[in-house]
Amino acid sequence: MLKEILESVELFVGLSEDDLDEVAAICEERSIPRGDILVKEGDAGEELFIITGGFVEVLLETPRRVVANLGTGQITGEMALVDGGPRSASLRAISDPTVVQVIHRSDFEQLCSKNTRLGYIVFRNLAADLSFKLRIRNLSER
Amino acid sequence: MAVYKISYVVIGSDHPGGIVNSNDRPKIGDQVIIGDQVFETIEVFELMPPRKDFHYIHVTCQPHNPE
Repeated sequence: MLKEILESVELFVGLSEDDLDEVAAICEERSIPRGDILVKEGDAGEELFIITGGFVEVLLETPRRVVANLGTGQITGEMALVDGGPRSASLRAISDPTVVQVIHRSDFEQLCSKNTRLGYIVFRNLAADLSFKLRIRNLSER
Repeated sequence: MAVYKISYVVIGSDHPGGIVNSNDRPKIGDQVIIGDQVFETIEVFELMPPRKDFHYIHVTCQPHNPE
């Protein structure tokens, strides 16, 4: 079941069945009630989130505003995973519940080091996701 | 199976829009729920070439006001 969900997440496009099993093994499911904060802007980031049900909103604190809603299949928290910096925004669940799969940074890095082909594919997909988000950011300024 | 990764930009409202995966290609006139609000699709175009089964679609929408 989890493997089927992961197959529909862009981050894992191109992975084999065995690769998906390895990814599934490091995922932890969390169910978040509406209104709860997943991450807070400025905090250290050690987790990547894959939204598998409901929506989260992306919040900037100063001035406080919502800049996006992310729904099923989207990843978030990836910037801290890539650059090691603090969280660039807060994330709040706006569905009841919002369901996410959580991948811890250390587990993710260990898997990518152990299976370098998987690591190459996932990081290429991560770059494509960041590119997509940058393109739509530019479009929203039209 | 095709997966459509759709970015929604909302006009006529201060709603921030969103990004959602769908198994259905969006089309003009569709109603879509982003967060907890309903919007109507008024523009659809491909943002980037597809990669494997993933299609990257940009949608402009506006608040749905049923008459």
